[in-house]
Amino acid sequence: MSKRKISSETSKLDELETRLAGTLRRITPRRDFVHGLRGRIHLPPREEIAFRLHDWERLLLVFGGVVSGTLVVLTVARALFHLFGRRT
Amino acid sequence: MPEPEFNEEEVLSRAAQGDRDAFGQLYERYIDRIFNYVYYRTGNLHDAEDLTARVFQRAMNHIHNYTNRGLPFSAWLYRIAHNLVANWHRDRSRRQEIPLNDAPIASSREDRPESTLVHSQEQESLLRLIRQLPPERQTLLILKFVENLSNAEIGQIMGRSEGAVKSLYHRTLLALRDQLGDQNINLEGD
Repeated sequence: MSKRKISSETSKLDELETRLAGTLRRITPRRDFVHGLRGRIHLPPREEIAFRLHDWERLLLVFGGVVSGTLVVLTVARALFHLFGRRT
Repeated sequence: MPEPEFNEEEVLSRAAQGDRDAFGQLYERYIDRIFNYVYYRTGNLHDAEDLTARVFQRAMNHIHNYTNRGLPFSAWLYRIAHNLVANWHRDRSRRQEIPLNDAPIASSREDRPESTLVHSQEQESLLRLIRQLPPERQTLLILKFVENLSNAEIGQIMGRSEGAVKSLYHRTLLALRDQLGDQNINLEGD
């Protein structure tokens, strides 16, 4: 292969590299997308969500217990009032 | 340029133990690189966002399995991205098997987001040719030109020696040059 041909080949490849550098440029992703995805990544893990739900169940039980207890006390008080309250 | 205060090994170890802030730091560090890789492999901004999100979700779900084998963490992320992009291409090629009569008419401009990056017609032709190359050659070009990585760094990510990367790069340039010649795209001037 002659020197001139080799030089021409090299120059073509150099030109191609220049074109590639001009074409394959770094692009910046949308800020909304980057922030949105970061927010999703910061969601608590599944176990933590399950634990929190479990905690809610316990809270509901306590709340239900308090409401039931109050109703029992009110019912007993009402019964006592009807039994003894009218006589006085 | 690497940040001196960022200790990747330590951050990785915390992320592997379930520290979301540590994973967030890794996310901030690699989001642009993974997004660019996926974008140039798909040529579609919408799919690039979708796949990038899936890369980081998958990474987050499996970070506890990550073992440091002396390779950069980015190699692991690129591997996930590569697999998801491969699945995306496979699904896309299956969808393209729909008979032409049933296929929707695609909007040519909207499906080519690179036009929004003000690429000339020749650059678009070059991008199309790049996307026709085998995946590993596309990866090599993206890492070299978009990420400006050295052959040694590319070798670490691709699991090849520096010499093998150099050789693959040369063969890729020759293949591109020949394809450009076949399509009568002039390299000498605009």
